[in-house]
Amino acid sequence: MSTESAPTPTAISSAEVHQQLGALTRQLHDSLTGLGLAAKVKDWAGELPDAKSRLSYIARLTGEAAEKVLNSVDQAKAQHDHIAAETRRIGALIVKDPVAAVAKGHVMNFINDVEQASRQVDGHLTEIMMAQDFHDLTGQVIARVVNLAATIEDQLVQLLIQTAPPDVAVKAPVAHEPYVPALDGPAVNAKDNPDVVSNQSEVDDLLASLGF
Amino acid sequence: MSKELRFLVVDDFSTMRRIVRNLLKESGFVDADEAEDGVVALQKLRSSNFDFVVSDINMPNMNGFQLLGEIKKDEKLKHLPVLMVTAEARKEDIVLAAQQGAAGYIVKPFTKATLEDKVNHILTKMGLK
Repeated sequence: MSTESAPTPTAISSAEVHQQLGALTRQLHDSLTGLGLAAKVKDWAGELPDAKSRLSYIARLTGEAAEKVLNSVDQAKAQHDHIAAETRRIGALIVKDPVAAVAKGHVMNFINDVEQASRQVDGHLTEIMMAQDFHDLTGQVIARVVNLAATIEDQLVQLLIQTAPPDVAVKAPVAHEPYVPALDGPAVNAKDNPDVVSNQSEVDDLLASLGF
Repeated sequence: MSKELRFLVVDDFSTMRRIVRNLLKESGFVDADEAEDGVVALQKLRSSNFDFVVSDINMPNMNGFQLLGEIKKDEKLKHLPVLMVTAEARKEDIVLAAQQGAAGYIVKPFTKATLEDKVNHILTKMGLK
């Protein structure tokens, strides 16, 4: 009986799979190079981390906006509840003794209370409105990520068309050209980039330093 | 006097146009119109009277820099103050806007106080307030 053990089916499969993957990778590399796509693939690889940062930026901005809105709503509701309770209390005092309610200053205090609370509620409503700016900022970033995905898709379809066997008809998709902002858009990593400002005071300082 | 000034708010995002208009209204500037890009803004500026332009930069068809350039080379419009309100945070864009004649530059996201402060500063500087 031979002591040399035959390779297990699993080991054979793994080796074969490994070899086939290697061949496929080589074939893909050769095809991409032959078609002049290698440089583009390199570009995609470079843009993917950027797309990742942009998606993180969207997640952060939408999260912050939701948090800001919920906090403002909580505070506005608390003020509203306070005014509602005070209204009931003052109403009862007026019903009981209208003259005393005015004379003791309950009514005037209530009016001042309402005025102060409505000013604060207005501030919270403005905060809620300002929080909606995430739509503009994330919209610009999403447009860039969508464009990257569309570019990769188009290039992959082109690759498929050019490498398809003669008997397989692959229809070229209708080319789509989404609007892509020509400029940089929101700075997703402002702190790590010395070429961009990260807040309004930096804008003001820059303009002031240049005499504007 | 400043309360009667007419503003044109230019931004491709309707949400932002609405936010800026509401903030202007809260600051007492109730007369404001909107445009979704530089092309529409120029049409409105040439067919009607405005006193102040608040413009985004990154827009389709005609961006904020191009709009600013068109305004500054138009004899009838070049006196208009143009306040850029944009997400473009590159230092070279800020400097370019100033060199092209922008009256101010606000980077998004911004606060109500910042907008109010810049508008009032520009109006005071121009003797409109």
